[in-house]
Amino acid sequence: MYDILFWFFSIAMLVCGLLVIANRNPVASALFLVLLFVFLAGLFVLLEAFFIAAIQVLVYAGAIMVLFLFVIMLLDIKASERRKFRALGVVGGIAVAVAFVWELVIILTRPLKPLATGGDELSGGLEQVVKPLFANYMLPFEVTALLLLVAMIGVVLLSKRELK
Amino acid sequence: MMSLYAIQLECLISIWGILILLVDAFKPIPNKRTVGYLAAGFVAVALLYSFAMQPVPDTFFHGMFRLDPFALYFKRLFLLALAAVLLMAAEFSPRIESGVAEFYALLMFCAVGMLLIASVNDFILLFVSLELVTITFYVLASYLRRQIPSLEAGTKYLILGALSSGFTVYGIAYIFGTTGTTNFDKLAEILNSQTGPPASAFIFGMLLVLTGLGFKIASVPFQVWAPDVYQGAPTPVTAFLAVGSKAAGFALLLRVLYTGLLPVSLSWNALIAVLAGATLLYGNLGAIPQHNIKRLLGYSSIGHAGYMLMGVAAVNALGAGAVLFYLGQYAFTNLCAFLAIIAVTAATGSDEIPSFSGLGKRSPILGLALFLSMMSLAGIPPLSGFFGKFQLFAAVVQRAQTDSKYYVLAAIGAVAVVISLYFYLGVGRAIYLQEAEDATPIVVSKPMRFGLVVCMVAMIGIGIFQRPLVHASIMAAKVFSLH
Repeated sequence: MYDILFWFFSIAMLVCGLLVIANRNPVASALFLVLLFVFLAGLFVLLEAFFIAAIQVLVYAGAIMVLFLFVIMLLDIKASERRKFRALGVVGGIAVAVAFVWELVIILTRPLKPLATGGDELSGGLEQVVKPLFANYMLPFEVTALLLLVAMIGVVLLSKRELK
Repeated sequence: MMSLYAIQLECLISIWGILILLVDAFKPIPNKRTVGYLAAGFVAVALLYSFAMQPVPDTFFHGMFRLDPFALYFKRLFLLALAAVLLMAAEFSPRIESGVAEFYALLMFCAVGMLLIASVNDFILLFVSLELVTITFYVLASYLRRQIPSLEAGTKYLILGALSSGFTVYGIAYIFGTTGTTNFDKLAEILNSQTGPPASAFIFGMLLVLTGLGFKIASVPFQVWAPDVYQGAPTPVTAFLAVGSKAAGFALLLRVLYTGLLPVSLSWNALIAVLAGATLLYGNLGAIPQHNIKRLLGYSSIGHAGYMLMGVAAVNALGAGAVLFYLGQYAFTNLCAFLAIIAVTAATGSDEIPSFSGLGKRSPILGLALFLSMMSLAGIPPLSGFFGKFQLFAAVVQRAQTDSKYYVLAAIGAVAVVISLYFYLGVGRAIYLQEAEDATPIVVSKPMRFGLVVCMVAMIGIGIFQRPLVHASIMAAKVFSLH
């Protein structure tokens, strides 16, 4: 059952991801991204990371993507036009992608001997996320605050209509 | 309390940045130039204060943060760069249409990320502080948003930067997945206790992390962004990219390769050596046909990443010390060049090399400053660039004693130096030998003059009395267990 669900969620995610970039209509792209986040949440549930799964749906699929859709609709972005691709770009891109996948296949088919056993027991709920966040990882957490401040200032500056 | 002692410089600079933002929002100071000079002065005081700080052997924040001599060396370097860049930003401020105070504040937040990078001892903190630096640069590069080149620079940096961040975090996931830790010390412990080569998934993760860092230092094959972004970004931002961002990339590269991954990187140095050779040739050959000084310095910065990668590839104590020394003197040299460029472009409005012709007559101090920095970049004695290159070559030759393939790398480096003489001297020729069309003298403000004199004295001083900086760089490189 576990395996079936894992493969279902993973393949569904890949399909959604492909549809996000292959779609010409930005609204459809965004909706496929929402779907992708829901399947990702499914994977988290399989890992018994229930809290992260819930956050994934609430924050990403809920809040952020709704905001995204609002922006797309307010700006009234039309479906992007069909572009001509340069042959070199297409061939090069496919070659790099194939090389990367090939590399991944080699790596992941070898026996994956972990260098170390153990590590923190990953299970479940709120406590396992929050405790490390505010104890071990406090400094990166605080730095993220500065990062968000910078992002906020940047967005306001670059999108202001009037320069003055 | 000790933890607070460790991050006091970061706190100081971020609080000062936030203060600038708040004061500008509630009680704006009409003369934005003064704010810039004040900010630069404050950072200069913080720089002086940092010399009173002592290294601490412990780690802080659960092993995430180090305050060793290596960290302090880089913190001083970043504060120096920040002070000079703020001075440049003050001179540049009349050309920024809106948000001058935010410009200063963003530069300071960016420097906070760099200060953290100097002390990083854990992949999580590495990623967060790297993003703090990179995301700030996305905004800073596209700051002159009415000018198409600036927007182009910002967009290119955003797309390639996001891609490289993706690689980094993907690599970190593999490293964590195979070892169960993100801490550099624990990682080294696990790798040392291991017999036989580590899992291929681990190597894959390491290579992905190196890809992300290669982007930061603009090494081949991740260098395509550098010339365009250097040319399009506002000049103070270009200077900060060339001095701060590059040093941050090397700080991370050295820290990751020589602490966490040392057992593995000993067998992977051939890769770095190949990258170094390719980067040297690409940067120096690409610079030849350039006629825009900022673009030329973009290619030159790729070339210099190549020289420093030579030192990284040597994997010996001499090499690590040489990279640190090189970054130190490179900061003074590049800052001097960019200070002069800002003063000239403020008067002429152009950064094409022909507009620098006759600069020696129009403003003797600017002409001399730009000429000296070009000569130092080319590595002509007795300027500091010469001794920097000398040390890097010495490290590679020492390595070649045991592995003769390294002589090839040294030879490529020598060829690159000869090539680079051509285009650096081209700028020198414009300054002193060509006549200016418009020979009106260029006025240089007092703070600018001060900055130029400090950088010039440092370039000549470090070139002749190398001992203090060599001593500092060797002390800093001692934190790695290299021979």
